[in-house]
Amino acid sequence: MLALATIPCLAQTTPPPAAPVPTLAAAPAIPFNRGIVLLDPAHGGLDSGSRISDSVLEKDVTLNLAFKLRSLLSARGFSVVMTRDSDAATQPGSTNPLTLDDRAGIADHARPVACLLLHATAAGTGVHLYSSELEATPGEPPANPWLTAQAAWVTQSQRLQKQLGMAFTRASIPLVMSRASVRPVDSLTCPALVVELAPDGSDSSSLNDSGYQQRVAEAIATALVFWKSQAAPPAHLTPDQLPAAPAAPAIGAKP
Amino acid sequence: MISRHQRILFWVLVGCIIAMASFLFWERERARDRISSLADATPIDAPYTNTESITLDLANDADGSVAAATRPIALPDEATARARALLEHLVAEYALPGSPHPLQSGAAVDDVFLLPLPIVGHGIDASAKPNPGGSTATVPIASTDPTALQPQSPGGELAVINLRSSFVNGHPSGVEVESLTLLSIIGTLHANLPQIEQIRFLVDGQPRETLAGHADLLRTYPSRDTTVQSTVPDAP
Repeated sequence: MLALATIPCLAQTTPPPAAPVPTLAAAPAIPFNRGIVLLDPAHGGLDSGSRISDSVLEKDVTLNLAFKLRSLLSARGFSVVMTRDSDAATQPGSTNPLTLDDRAGIADHARPVACLLLHATAAGTGVHLYSSELEATPGEPPANPWLTAQAAWVTQSQRLQKQLGMAFTRASIPLVMSRASVRPVDSLTCPALVVELAPDGSDSSSLNDSGYQQRVAEAIATALVFWKSQAAPPAHLTPDQLPAAPAAPAIGAKP
Repeated sequence: MISRHQRILFWVLVGCIIAMASFLFWERERARDRISSLADATPIDAPYTNTESITLDLANDADGSVAAATRPIALPDEATARARALLEHLVAEYALPGSPHPLQSGAAVDDVFLLPLPIVGHGIDASAKPNPGGSTATVPIASTDPTALQPQSPGGELAVINLRSSFVNGHPSGVEVESLTLLSIIGTLHANLPQIEQIRFLVDGQPRETLAGHADLLRTYPSRDTTVQSTVPDAP
């Protein structure tokens, strides 16, 4: 019976027509606020994240790092939006826990120049920077799917990743840069990175060290000052500018 | 003559002894179940002896990399049993002392299912007459969803990996360490079972949001060579 299902596919042996190349010259750019940075200290409340040691929890490390970053960014003229500024991670005006989609919603409404999702781990050393694993698209479609909204911003996110990477290298902080699938980064409509703080050397208690956190926060703040003038939002695509959906290759057709 | 309060005290102590004995017995049963679930050695695959040189994509927490390494391993021929055995060897490698990506020892994978792509549903064949038993024939129905899973080459398959909750619950938490575990599994399957094009994860047969609080377990991952690091484009 399953073989019957492939019959329509086998019949499709002619190559699909080439997708029209979208013209983005006239496409309007998405407005965003160059003076706003979103910080998302991951976890909070009942969700303590990873247990770094008996007395150190990930949710506390991320919040402390976010407070340091907020001070430094405010001093450099940025407005900082935080998804939580206390231990509890609840929706505004209620006691309902903040979901990952809620965090993405806060970020997308602010239209910030950068979204940083702050995490911490006892594994590895230095700072780990991750951008989305989605494939980049040439612009933002009129109906942007929630689970792949970041696709239009992936190129910008990777440039921000490089900017932050250079700042960490200058600050002599060990660095790992890669791509990862960590919710809710794929739903963000801003240059978005996961910033994971790892120990300074082999001692995991250094994650709670104020001096180390300050060094990392200063590197990030310095990079964001440069980034503020470099960020370029993707274009809004109109329906006629949308690239054709890639057709599934026919089963049995030669590549 | 034994006073009344001494008799009451005696029976209270007897009750406490019985309660403590029951509690200890219950704890012992729980511990035994926990240990047996971690070391389930039920032989569900046919024995195999032919040793092959197998590529494992091994993760390293220190630099966040995944590197290919070859190991002589005896694997079954049947594809699903082969995939399961591969992943068990991979996790066993991480449980060795001094591992660059330490994970707890024990069985990690309950099952691996290989499904041919594209995924099709089944509907009742309106033109068919009911069988004497009352059942009606069904026909495959291709999905009308343009984003439905499609094969990239003939014979492409979706691998559904059913992880054990004992493995997932004991997995270290963190973006890097969780992502490396997934990349290592994806890369190892890609290197040894090239017909696998897409990979999904379940935990005890159920979808779970994340591996240990970070890496997404709900999405479908493309099978690929994970030893190749993605590059960041130059700034304009």
